[in-house]
Amino acid sequence: MSDGQRSPTTDSGQIVVSGLTKQYKNVRAVDNLSFTVASGRVTGFLGPNGAGKTTTLRMLLNLVTPSGGGATIGGQRYVDLADPLRHVGAVLEASSAHKGRTGINHLRVICAAAGLPKQRADEALALVGLTPAAKRKFKGYSLGMKQRLGIAAAMLGDPRVLILDEPANGLDPEGIRWMRGFLKGLAHEGRTVLVSSHLLSEMQLLADDVVIIAAGKLIRQGPVEQVLGSMAQGGQVRVRTPQADELVAALRAQSATVETGEHGVLLVGGLDAPAIGKVALAAKVELHELTPERPDLERVFLELTAGKAGIR
Amino acid sequence: MNLVRSELLKIRTTSTWWIFGLISLPLWILALLFNWLQTDALAGGTLEDVPAEQADQIQAVQSADSLAANIYTNGQFFGLLIVMLLGIIVVTSEFFHQTVTTTFLTAPHRTAVMMAKLVAGAVIAMLFWLVTTALNLVFGALILNSVDVGAQFGSGAVWRAVGLNALAYLLWSVLGVGIGVLIRSQIGATVTGILLYLGGSIGAIAVLALLASKYGEWINKLQVAVPSLASSLMVSGAEIPGNPPRWVGAAVLIGYAVLAGVIGALTLRRRDIS
Ligand SMILES: Nc1ncnc2c1ncn2[C@@H]1O[C@H](COP(=O)(O)OP(=O)(O)OP(=O)(O)O)[C@@H](O)[C@H]1O
Ligand SMILES: [Mg+2]
Repeated sequence: MSDGQRSPTTDSGQIVVSGLTKQYKNVRAVDNLSFTVASGRVTGFLGPNGAGKTTTLRMLLNLVTPSGGGATIGGQRYVDLADPLRHVGAVLEASSAHKGRTGINHLRVICAAAGLPKQRADEALALVGLTPAAKRKFKGYSLGMKQRLGIAAAMLGDPRVLILDEPANGLDPEGIRWMRGFLKGLAHEGRTVLVSSHLLSEMQLLADDVVIIAAGKLIRQGPVEQVLGSMAQGGQVRVRTPQADELVAALRAQSATVETGEHGVLLVGGLDAPAIGKVALAAKVELHELTPERPDLERVFLELTAGKAGIR
Repeated sequence: MNLVRSELLKIRTTSTWWIFGLISLPLWILALLFNWLQTDALAGGTLEDVPAEQADQIQAVQSADSLAANIYTNGQFFGLLIVMLLGIIVVTSEFFHQTVTTTFLTAPHRTAVMMAKLVAGAVIAMLFWLVTTALNLVFGALILNSVDVGAQFGSGAVWRAVGLNALAYLLWSVLGVGIGVLIRSQIGATVTGILLYLGGSIGAIAVLALLASKYGEWINKLQVAVPSLASSLMVSGAEIPGNPPRWVGAAVLIGYAVLAGVIGALTLRRRDIS
């Protein structure tokens, strides 16, 4: 989209989900879902618990058979990729290694199956900072270490596409910051990064695009700024002043809307910050704060998925 | 090929194989002691007061070929069980430790994964057979010489028994992998496997004997359709009068192994990994 030179056929990192559906016995986990994920960007895949995120990612990776529709990565179904690990790296569960196997051996087993050289295991381990624990058994790993081992496994084939299901689970603040930098770096190199998550504040820092689903259906897709901007509550400005009455009168004269918030804060709509500043100056009102309210992803998310969340 | 290497590496990098090896050793020693006593008794002809109709059966068992074949396939009873359990674990540990996701991400063609597991199971089975047979040839020859039967290394029947023993190890490992696919639970599959191997034969004999008393003697011939009985028929040292020929046992067991492999592969292809 942003990169005009790349046509869809040459973008080997583009993910296309079209009409994807999964019907379990009692639940329509994913319902005619379509969206695309561009390379060179981090795409956040958001939805309430049980929305169908994990099921969608597993169908994309040929682990779960769709009841309808399909998904491609770089124009090919996952099962048709000649060397899947060299194209796609995926991190799905934190605890997916044999408990009695060492971290390095876990990676070597994968290297052997994928026909990758053995030293890729050491390199990948170094990449995620796990080298000191290489020869420790998986059952002795902390949650964060398990998560890092999963990422190392995904990076073995140096893939163009990364797919992660809740990778921030169990990471401490330092770990989350590391992950953010890591994933942004990968996207910056031109790779595709698709991350599902619940941590909306984290997503606001991390994602360039978002795909929001609820109850198996697409709610909204697009660049973060655009999704945020589309919401009604955007554009308000927080104002604090010791002369509230005078300012309110002056602002209303300019046909702005004013609400009173906590601690005497005024929430002004219909005028931007410079305009409010001008009005205040003209009215000789002293200002203590003048902050444009930035709509946050969490509020937008809750508003968009209102009534559609809940365990099914 | 890569997949087979990976499967073997999986087995090598956990403690399972040497634990099973360690369990096998005392069982093998026990079997050897038992067979020593039996060989001694049979070779000495100390079993005298047998009913006339069993006399020629006993005679067949007492032949030098039969004694040698028996001792060179020593440890088979538990060996086959161990190999089958290893086959089961090759599959069920993937579900138990949730590594199956990674396995199928690396190799999305599931039939190939199934094949690799069968081959890996077979390789392990052959290793167990090789080690056991090497030990048997050394200690068996000593025992046979001690009872004045002689090592019988020149006998074709002996080597046929050793070869069929290898086939039995192979087929039970395949059966194990098949059971593992059909029953994902580690405990469930293990218990089912052991029942099939041990209890299955006893139960089947009882049921068949009951049916035979009702519908006639021919039903007893169906014994060969029970996997464990087919297996023991196949590896019995020499043709024993009154029993079906050994190749029938082999054919039945091969049939079960192929069935287990095919059903396992088909099941694995369809299954949702979530
Ligand atoms: N194997 C299964 N059998 C039956 N129903 C299932 C199965 N897997 C998932 N579901 C149902 O499908 C729906 C979507 O589940 P999914 O795990 O995809 O949601 P999610 O968005 O990943 O949720 P979370 O945020 O909690 O991880 C849920 O209602 C769930 O109960
Ligand atoms: Mg999930």
